[in-house]
Amino acid sequence: MPVPENVEAAVRGMVDAAGLPVSEEEFDSFVAMYPTLREAADGLYIEDVRYEEPALIFTPVAPTPAAVKE
Amino acid sequence: MTEIPLTITDAAAAMRAGTLTSLELVEACFAHADALDGELGVYLHRLDDDARAAARAADEELAAGTDRGPLHGIPIGIKDIIATNEAPTTAQSLVLDPAWGAQGDAPVVARLREAGAIVMGKTSTMEFAIGMPDASKPFPVPRNPWNTDTWPGGSSSGSGAGVAAGFFLGALGTDTGGSVRIPAAFCGISGMKQTFGRVPKSGCAPLGYSLDHIGPLTRSARDCAAMLGVMAGADASDPTTADVPVPDYLAALTGSVEGLRIGVERANHLDAPGVLPEAVEAFEAAVSWFAGAGAILDEVEISRYEAIRNVGLITMRGEANSYHQSDLQSRWSDYGMYTNRFVAGGALVSASDYVQAQRFRSLAREQMAALMKPFDVLIMPTAGMGAPLVEGLDDTSFMGWPVFTPFWNPLGLPVLSVPMGFTNDGLPLSLQIAGKPFDEATVFRVADAFQQATDHHLQVPSLVSGAVTV
Repeated sequence: MPVPENVEAAVRGMVDAAGLPVSEEEFDSFVAMYPTLREAADGLYIEDVRYEEPALIFTPVAPTPAAVKE
Repeated sequence: MTEIPLTITDAAAAMRAGTLTSLELVEACFAHADALDGELGVYLHRLDDDARAAARAADEELAAGTDRGPLHGIPIGIKDIIATNEAPTTAQSLVLDPAWGAQGDAPVVARLREAGAIVMGKTSTMEFAIGMPDASKPFPVPRNPWNTDTWPGGSSSGSGAGVAAGFFLGALGTDTGGSVRIPAAFCGISGMKQTFGRVPKSGCAPLGYSLDHIGPLTRSARDCAAMLGVMAGADASDPTTADVPVPDYLAALTGSVEGLRIGVERANHLDAPGVLPEAVEAFEAAVSWFAGAGAILDEVEISRYEAIRNVGLITMRGEANSYHQSDLQSRWSDYGMYTNRFVAGGALVSASDYVQAQRFRSLAREQMAALMKPFDVLIMPTAGMGAPLVEGLDDTSFMGWPVFTPFWNPLGLPVLSVPMGFTNDGLPLSLQIAGKPFDEATVFRVADAFQQATDHHLQVPSLVSGAVTV
């Protein structure tokens, strides 16, 4: 997903979808940040990763005690 | 007048020699805090009465012949994103529900307490372990005892500054991208991010679920080893903990690096923008010491360095935003101005990006296992700079700094930061020692040998050395 031509519109869509009540100044900081963040993410889609499994952990057994609140 | 021993090891020896009691030590540490905390902003909550009562009990036990080990009667600070029995846990935020902290001691705190440690209070942090100090919120802006115009690093700011200032001899921090190792580096002390899964992180407000580590900060590597020996081990409350035997870390401290194979990583570190010449000199001096001490050194170069660091960045953004999104929607202004911006950046990362980062993480794990196979440890600077000025810090500050900690969090490998010298402005510089999975013992051995031959970790800021008043 390359950096879109209209960064402002793309960021506006994502910020609105996330329901973030940002000020215009904060929105501008997201617009400024987005190309770098997008390029960082895009740089992870390389051929060497094509057949890698994600390093995720899941066990169907609930941890005990399960009362740790987060 | 009670002088505070610089290390846990020295204090433990003095207690057993009968020249120091835990209560005297606790009083002396609180006296330092009385004198300096208005300037340093270490404590969010002090536990004077509880600590004194615990110290008296520790002294009585020791006198009666019950010795709980190297932490018996030792004052420690707890970063205020980790739950404790006595004090509220705020995460230095207006947002965290006070009921969350009412769960009582996190497993790691319970283990330290059982080993005789004295909990002195809760220490300042960047809000939820991220962001930057925001003076508009009702929390202290932490300052560095080496120069109070500078920042002690974060996010475990109070834990780092508190050890350096003699408010306690050890502390708990958390490290998701360097939050133990950065304050250790900027405050001139030692800080350990052990293997992911070595220490339970339940009872700690999360930042990045798969990147967080609760780690010790102390003056010496030996003291870190003493704390980690108590903290380590699987716990049913945290399914990410690994059921791997915990060795006797103190027994591994031979004082020698002879024959150990050390990979020296200059390529991604020494030429990075902003690296100070004196950081390069201090690093090369450390390398020379290891060579002279009989270690077998070889140059290494980590490939895909930036991409692996970005795996941590994407992962942290996604995991943090997941935890905070509801509160960001409803309580945006209750967050510090740099916390909400940073965390909300996770809304700009897609679910596919997050999973791709975890796939890249698998590749990175294989790559690093192959790279590290011929070595016992790798070494590189923690940062190529000293502590930055507090003035002007914002959510983008980190992006321009030569700080080399975040690379290691997505890999989950053990990394210890230890002092290696000073900048021309008198601010501490730091060395990272990285090991293989669950081989903290070798990392501690290397660091302890270095510290037996150097005294960088024993230097005390002039602000502190003039403040002993007990």
